[in-house]
Amino acid sequence: MAAIQLEKINKVYGKGGAQVRALKDVDFEAESGEVVLIMGPSGAGKSTFLTIIGSLQKPTSGSVKVDGEEISQLSAKKTGALRLNKIGFILQAYNLVPYLTVQDQFVLVDKVKRQGNLSKEELAKLMEQLGISDLAKKYPGELSGGQKQRVAIARALYADPAIILADEPTASLDSEKVKEVGQLFKTMAKERNKAVILVTHDPRLKEYADHIYEMMDGQLSKEA
Amino acid sequence: MFLAFKEIKHEKIRYGLIVMMIFLISYLIFMLSSLAIGLAEENTQALESWQTQKVVLNKNANISLSQSVLNKDDLKNASLSKNEAYLGQVPVVVKANKRSSISAQFLGVKRDQFIYQDQELIAGRKSKNKSEVTADQALQLKGYKLGDKIKLNDSKQKYTIVGFVKNAKINIAPIIYGDLATWKKLKVAMPNVVASGIISKNADYKLNHKNAKTYDVKTFINKLPGYTAQNMTFELMIGFLFIISLIIIAVFLYILTMQKMQNYAVMRAQGIPAKTLVAATIGQAVILVVTGAVIGLLLMELTILMMPKSVPMDFTPAIMLAGVGGMLLMGIIGSLIPVRSILKVDPVKAIGE
Repeated sequence: MAAIQLEKINKVYGKGGAQVRALKDVDFEAESGEVVLIMGPSGAGKSTFLTIIGSLQKPTSGSVKVDGEEISQLSAKKTGALRLNKIGFILQAYNLVPYLTVQDQFVLVDKVKRQGNLSKEELAKLMEQLGISDLAKKYPGELSGGQKQRVAIARALYADPAIILADEPTASLDSEKVKEVGQLFKTMAKERNKAVILVTHDPRLKEYADHIYEMMDGQLSKEA
Repeated sequence: MFLAFKEIKHEKIRYGLIVMMIFLISYLIFMLSSLAIGLAEENTQALESWQTQKVVLNKNANISLSQSVLNKDDLKNASLSKNEAYLGQVPVVVKANKRSSISAQFLGVKRDQFIYQDQELIAGRKSKNKSEVTADQALQLKGYKLGDKIKLNDSKQKYTIVGFVKNAKINIAPIIYGDLATWKKLKVAMPNVVASGIISKNADYKLNHKNAKTYDVKTFINKLPGYTAQNMTFELMIGFLFIISLIIIAVFLYILTMQKMQNYAVMRAQGIPAKTLVAATIGQAVILVVTGAVIGLLLMELTILMMPKSVPMDFTPAIMLAGVGGMLLMGIIGSLIPVRSILKVDPVKAIGE
């Protein structure tokens, strides 16, 4: 069973003459254990795609299934629980709560999701891999762009979600860190059997992907 | 509470300013409430010390003890038990050598009745004859001493202060307790006049005969000159302060919430339940209000210690509880205003759609 499956997804914003069709009959599938890259220019519909598979908004039509369960018509409360338990978001900006230290970002997850999070040892190993072990007591305001991005990745992985959705996860990273992060995504997918979907402009991530899709004018096509 | 504490800890100056404002408002509320209660008590201290339930007055006296005069005819049917006492009231100016003049109320009482017998002395003894008086402790605070010979109004006779009485004020003026015969003299009353009124500790006491009419103590107190107007003024000020605190808390929390909407959108996108964010906002309001009110409470205690005893302030546990409780209620109501915005936050904004 696919970890995530989209069928004939359409998303239309606005009404009448101001109507914009952001997604057009999008079909998509990602299996656990795979890294999938969604590439494409700005305005192509990548963010809309991400918000729909992440259950942040409902499609105008079509079906979205996570682990075989239809989620496109779930209530806000249920989609919240779904995101907390099954989906890890890595966002471009404003990823971290500014008044929580790096350590407290994980404590917040513990407060709302008491089971199934990474153990202390696993978190320490993850932070070591991301090179943020010595940042535990720092606030986001004290971190560089790259450090913030790596902390955000650690936080998304901390809840041990089945699906990881990332919006430009390497935007602030140098080539060395891109390699490490790309490898980390691949390791998480393979070793922890997660479906990793990366929406990105960054071609440096291509080598870590199992599948690459291109989004253009709301239509999704698989690269050969 | 986790998010609430962490944010306050991180934004110390911002939240410190809000706490300071809540503290100042709380302090002002405590101050005004203490003054209101203190002044109200100075109007009714004596009545309370007599455990007054009913007051019999001349029905044409506009429910004013000092305006009332009851004569033998009016009191023909009066039967006084140990719970009733005659009382004569007349305003006087107390003068004594090397002492400042004081405006007071002379109360004439009978030595075989409860008002005389129940006097709670803090110094000296009760009067034994017509030339002796006991006085409210306020006179002692103003330098009067036991044994002082005082003149009342322009009388030539001198009266000796033989005791100081606790809680003996009526209508904010200190009381001089003396003999009912002395009252008649000071009042320049007709020979058939008996007293200004009757004070009864019995809630069922009733005497309605000729000009005599019985009033409930509440009615009597509300008609004390200036009493109702004074209390309403304080109540209005305190009420407005509560409303101002509600507005301040609501506005601050609303502005802070609006500034955090992007953070909330990210947290909602990550599945943090809305109730966690709502609880954090209400928790913040509770922490801010309790901190501000407790600081206000401590400063108020300090103020009471430093305030001269002549200032009529009474800071009771009831005021503390009502003040803190009222502020807390305002804080919680204020925090509910931004809650609506939190519940409506769109997690899509986290992606920057």
